[in-house]
Amino acid sequence: MTPELAPPFTPASPVELSIALLLSAFLFGLGVVGFLSRRNMIIMFLCTELMFQGTALAFIAFARQHMDVSGQVFVIFILTVAAAEAALALGLVVLLYRCRETLSSEAWSSLGESQASSASDAPSASAAGGAL
Amino acid sequence: MVPISFYAACAMASVGLLILLKPRNGTARFGASALALSGLALALATVARAVDGAAESPLPIAAMSLCALVACFAGVRVITHPRPVYCALYFVLVVVSTAAMYVLLRAEFMAFSLIIVYAGAILITYLFVLMLAQQSPTDTHGAEAVNYDRIPREPASAVFAGLVVVAVLGSAVFAPRSAAIAQMDQANAVRRGWDDLSRMPDLLLARAKAIDPTVVAVQADEHGRRLRAGSGSSATVLVSRTDGAAPAAMELPASALPDNTSRVGMALVSRFPISLELAGVLLLMAMLGAVVLARRQADIADDERRAHAGLPRHHDHAQGGGA
Repeated sequence: MTPELAPPFTPASPVELSIALLLSAFLFGLGVVGFLSRRNMIIMFLCTELMFQGTALAFIAFARQHMDVSGQVFVIFILTVAAAEAALALGLVVLLYRCRETLSSEAWSSLGESQASSASDAPSASAAGGAL
Repeated sequence: MVPISFYAACAMASVGLLILLKPRNGTARFGASALALSGLALALATVARAVDGAAESPLPIAAMSLCALVACFAGVRVITHPRPVYCALYFVLVVVSTAAMYVLLRAEFMAFSLIIVYAGAILITYLFVLMLAQQSPTDTHGAEAVNYDRIPREPASAVFAGLVVVAVLGSAVFAPRSAAIAQMDQANAVRRGWDDLSRMPDLLLARAKAIDPTVVAVQADEHGRRLRAGSGSSATVLVSRTDGAAPAAMELPASALPDNTSRVGMALVSRFPISLELAGVLLLMAMLGAVVLARRQADIADDERRAHAGLPRHHDHAQGGGA
């Protein structure tokens, strides 16, 4: 069309789009690796946020490619879900930490109450079980 | 068609990441970082060569590559650093470099809301929780982090899973792009942009005034439309220049199209209003859930503190907000 169109309305450079999509794939992959290999529960949730970042970047890149703002609007909802997830997940992590006094996910490899370290932990473990 | 050098680059980066995941001494980490970085650079070069972009200016591409390298470095540090607080701080670096990439992709509003929401709100929450769940007092003076933060769990299979994910997702990068679809997308974008502008009377008047300062009002035509999109990328509006004068047609050039923030806001309220309401409901539910979790946790903590101090437990102390 006419050359006076502003950049959001002109086709994006294919190389830029490819770099953005590549970075989104890498961020998602790093999030997967971190979620599987880290044992700190807070870092595991941080790695899910890394995956959110990769997904959101892919949405923005495709929104630029198709010159449509729907992708950007979707990222707003991704941010909303990420904020809600962070609030709830971190609340649960603090609850779990109070029960076992450790952030290691392997303290919860068996979900029964038999692994409670002391007798005083037993009521709190059952309370956490009820919360979950 | 995905070139084989892309898979080679992914494999190189994975081997480097695998070495970085385990606690090592300085030289091994340096070599692994060099391996991962060269794998990343090879992947970027493969992409730049596979996609035909010969006639493009190198500056935005260089800026994009720089952002990608910084984001990847920070992402690797997030999953390899033994101290959780540094992981969270490196995640801030990921967010900032991703936001820079959003700006380069012409999503300015989302770039700033990403920084505000992620770096400003979510990461602060993470830092607070890290401080709440502080591990041990020996952690403060010794360089020794706690064991479960230093030693990864099954790093080889985790890196292999990540490699498969990246290799599959990478095929999207090399998918061919049709010029016809790009032209259709552009026509749709321009039409939708004028459509959005016609629903924003104040912005429309400001755009008309920017072209001709004597304009005092934008009139609707006999069909009630304020703006009629032309055949090209321009549009015509009916404006009146003095009070009571007959409306005259005026052409708006493509530079009068609404900017990114206006378009996002208009899309939110005109195309996705129900989703916007549902997002609000979701946030409310999350807030209620967090309050419920925090109340129960304060209850337990208070009770346990009494038990440790040798006092009798009392379960009716539900309002222990000071804990």
